[in-house]
Amino acid sequence: MVKAADEGKMLADIREILDNYPPEERYILAVMQDMQKRFNYLPKAGLKTLAFYVGVPLSRVYAMASFYKAFSLTPKGQYVFRVCDGTACHIKGSKILIEQLYKCLGIRPGETTPDGRFSIETVNCLGACALAPVVVVNDRVYAKVIPGDVEKIIREYGGYAHEGKNED
Amino acid sequence: MKIMIDAREVMAYPGETILEVCRRENIFIPTLCYHPAFKGQGACRMCMVEIIDSSGQKRLVASCTYPVSDGLKVITSSEKIKKTRKTLAMLIAGRSQASPFAQEIAEEYKVKPLFFKGFENEKCILCRLCINACEEMGSAVLAAVSRGVDKRIETPYAEGAEECIGCKACAEICPTGAIEVKEENGQRIIWHKTFDLIKCANCGKEFATPEQIKFIEDKTGRKMEKFLCEGCRKRQTAEVIKEFSV
Repeated sequence: MVKAADEGKMLADIREILDNYPPEERYILAVMQDMQKRFNYLPKAGLKTLAFYVGVPLSRVYAMASFYKAFSLTPKGQYVFRVCDGTACHIKGSKILIEQLYKCLGIRPGETTPDGRFSIETVNCLGACALAPVVVVNDRVYAKVIPGDVEKIIREYGGYAHEGKNED
Repeated sequence: MKIMIDAREVMAYPGETILEVCRRENIFIPTLCYHPAFKGQGACRMCMVEIIDSSGQKRLVASCTYPVSDGLKVITSSEKIKKTRKTLAMLIAGRSQASPFAQEIAEEYKVKPLFFKGFENEKCILCRLCINACEEMGSAVLAAVSRGVDKRIETPYAEGAEECIGCKACAEICPTGAIEVKEENGQRIIWHKTFDLIKCANCGKEFATPEQIKFIEDKTGRKMEKFLCEGCRKRQTAEVIKEFSV
């Protein structure tokens, strides 16, 4: 799936991230955070290189990566929709927003569109209950979202790939 | 140094844990994740004991990781300890529903397991002994992956690991037999990886993988001439010793 050129770029990126840290066990988490930021997920090659770099078994690094929810082991979309599903947002209809996102993008929470542009996640609470229901796309906050807004928001990020094909 | 365990004065040495002292003094403390070959992990919390500090305050600690200090006072049995162990027994039996070992624990502590949904075929109690065994052996391919109720023992990416030598140390140490090992047609399948098996030169029993032999040879720097299984090796050593003992 990943082209050879992309892979070369990825390895160069990984090396660049690792160059910022001394090869010590305590920097594993910091390196992984940088990787997550750069690639939107933790690539296998990245974890392998990191384990070798700091001199711990891959299993240890993998255990850490799988433990924290901030890390993703599968590629995430370019734009991540974080739909708040805390008590306030839930009552204000976050489930309907998730349903609307499914209608528009064809993905459920935790999934990514095939073109790799959008992902949906649910968040237990964003701490902005007064703005319920809240949706955060990457770093931008959308407050008091109604189902009709969902399509507008998606369009802000270039719309969806199958747009117009199977809308009914 | 001297420490007090249940109003009994016992000798302890610096660097020892409460559990190690108790084991030596034949004071029973139940454990699940402890094995004398490894350091205490403090994972299962079955070995909880109460200590009394200098101000007379009581506190629950895991005896397998708590280091002794001079004048330490330990209580190995109290209502509080019993209660924590009962809760643990309930949770462990509730999770590891397919493990008779875990169910026995619940029976022993007279608790009704809190059966979790979706764990009907679970045997693992997450004691991490396999992780320790794998690491001590030198492969370190196992880890506790994910967290919370999803936590399980796995190899990275749930695929056969390069470093795995198929030594089965993980399955040998597992108290509940949760690790799947298939041995048939001269092959061993373990942790998503298939190994060939070598036959014992003496009795013909299949006992090790070529990767295992190579690992030992690399470690000891000696080439093995004859592959013998554990039983035959012991017998051979006994034969040699016999000559000397006359």
